[in-house]
Amino acid sequence: MAWVSGQYAIRSVGRNIRRTILSIVGIAVGCVLALFMESMNRGRGELFARAGSSSGVGHVRIVPAGWRERRDSRLRLADWEADLAAARAVPGVAFATARARAQALLAVGTHVVPVELTGVQPEIEPHMFRYVQTVRQGRYLRAGEAGSIVLGRALVDRLTADLDDDIVATTVGPGGDIQSALFRLVGIVETGNDDSDSAVCQVAIEDVQRLTQFPGAGEVSLVLGDYRRIDAVRAQLASRVARGDDVMTLSESAPDIEGHLNQDSAVTRIVSWIILLIVLLGVASAQLAAVLERRREFAVLAALGMSGPRLVGLVVQEALMLGAGGAVVGIAAGVPIIWRFAHSGIDLSSYVGGSYSFQGVLFDPIIYGDFGWWIPGYVTAVSLVATIVASLYPAWYASRTDPAVALRVAQ
Amino acid sequence: MSAPIVLARGLTKAFDGGREPVWALRGVDLEVGAGEFLALVGPSGSGKTTLLNLVGALDTPTGGELTVLGQHIASLSKMARAHLRLHSIGFVFQAYNLVPVLTARENVEFVLELQGMGAGRRDRARGVLAELGLGDLADRRTNELSGGQQQRVAVARAVASRPTLVLADEPTANLDGENAETLMHLMRDLRDRHGMTFIFSTHDPRVVAHAVRIVTLVDGRVSKDEPQVPTS
Repeated sequence: MAWVSGQYAIRSVGRNIRRTILSIVGIAVGCVLALFMESMNRGRGELFARAGSSSGVGHVRIVPAGWRERRDSRLRLADWEADLAAARAVPGVAFATARARAQALLAVGTHVVPVELTGVQPEIEPHMFRYVQTVRQGRYLRAGEAGSIVLGRALVDRLTADLDDDIVATTVGPGGDIQSALFRLVGIVETGNDDSDSAVCQVAIEDVQRLTQFPGAGEVSLVLGDYRRIDAVRAQLASRVARGDDVMTLSESAPDIEGHLNQDSAVTRIVSWIILLIVLLGVASAQLAAVLERRREFAVLAALGMSGPRLVGLVVQEALMLGAGGAVVGIAAGVPIIWRFAHSGIDLSSYVGGSYSFQGVLFDPIIYGDFGWWIPGYVTAVSLVATIVASLYPAWYASRTDPAVALRVAQ
Repeated sequence: MSAPIVLARGLTKAFDGGREPVWALRGVDLEVGAGEFLALVGPSGSGKTTLLNLVGALDTPTGGELTVLGQHIASLSKMARAHLRLHSIGFVFQAYNLVPVLTARENVEFVLELQGMGAGRRDRARGVLAELGLGDLADRRTNELSGGQQQRVAVARAVASRPTLVLADEPTANLDGENAETLMHLMRDLRDRHGMTFIFSTHDPRVVAHAVRIVTLVDGRVSKDEPQVPTS
């Protein structure tokens, strides 16, 4: 048997169809804006994973004992070849490579530049470090090649070097003795971003081992097929790496980048809340107007014995109908918008230039939203919760109707 | 002898009038027994509606004593008064005050639903409407009904749950003579068949003629209280 109170709520919503449509559109617009912000926030997680991992950090990284605290590039893994083999054996790992780093000075003639010299496995590195895919002059390192170096354009300019120039790299060995080696500049990388170019200084891993007299590798980096499996892969690897070696996730390796993005997310969330607050006030205003128009009717219902809580329930029920309508319209309008956002992205290059970097990590100026099954649930929840909250004051006002006074005034 | 349905002793009611309170009732003494068909008469401003509102637990007295169906109105909470109205008192208003978005049947059924009546409330609503000659109009929206029909729906809503007491404030004020007569006959018929107590306020002498007791209010006091043999 249908409940008359339900019929009453439905038909009451339809009394002033123009106001109802405006309310639903207002709720839907608020939901779509909130949805867009949420999609951007969720997409930011993917952006962080993509930018961080392709900037050389990797989704997951195996590091030597003590590196987590000291971040000392001289530390070496206990058994890097075993760690690399273990990493490549984990399902879902797209690429894994070993690196050895050293703090060094590069010199060409009288020009000297301090750098972090990175020893890499040339056959794997371009898959994991996208900067070196943009060699604008010369070529990238070759497997088995010794004595070659690839630099970013910013470093080349500071050294006033040119392709095929000899560059002296100087570093400090294990006993504090100065070690030097000569490298030939075979390739110049141009990412379009000076900060990022300054971070590119690569030679073969064996060259770093020879130069520094520190054998082995300082890290094994992994890029996953799906960044959402970071924690699972980390858990699997933790028991397989050489004793003493440690496994870190991207968030742990680059906490400042994550913190920066979290700050951005917090700002976005605040903006979302402001948008929702404005929508909420609009809905509350419309609801209050509807309640005021029906003051006499509420007085009659109260006179017939409808209690305050039931009157509150009635108004909230009507608000829920508006919320449901807003959710349907919000989903219908939001899905195509977010789908496009997720697939084509929004190009921010006119605002941030061709690219922007933070802490040496190059971020794509095109941001993408997240699109998934969470959208209907999110829009419905936002819409219903917002309208319930918005209806509380009008509902409370309705429940306060004094039937004797309201009927006397209305006579 | 059974306890009175309504018992008022020295009942007063004042409204905030700015500097001075406005006294609508200045000490009403009244006792109404079960099954009475009582007319409250008096000039405008004499306190008829105020007295009905107090008896209907819509308002609380300023002073004196008022017991309705054994309950002291002044001591009841808002919720308790709502409960009393819902389960024991029916209201008929001058301006019908039906819910416009509901049909005649739904208006009646709504009150039964509020009372918590489950299965059978639709049949009950239809039955009461049929009793009042509105069987064919049960599924019409109230704005499609004439004034007389709307007031009969309002009576159906008031009596559907068989309340002990039915209060009607100028129920025929918006009706023509024929509809007013019909309505009074129906109300008396309901009283006779179901034993409900009716108290109604009116200015209309044709309506007063149906009452078995007439209480006259003047300036917030009972000036006359006399039985009457109904003329029809």
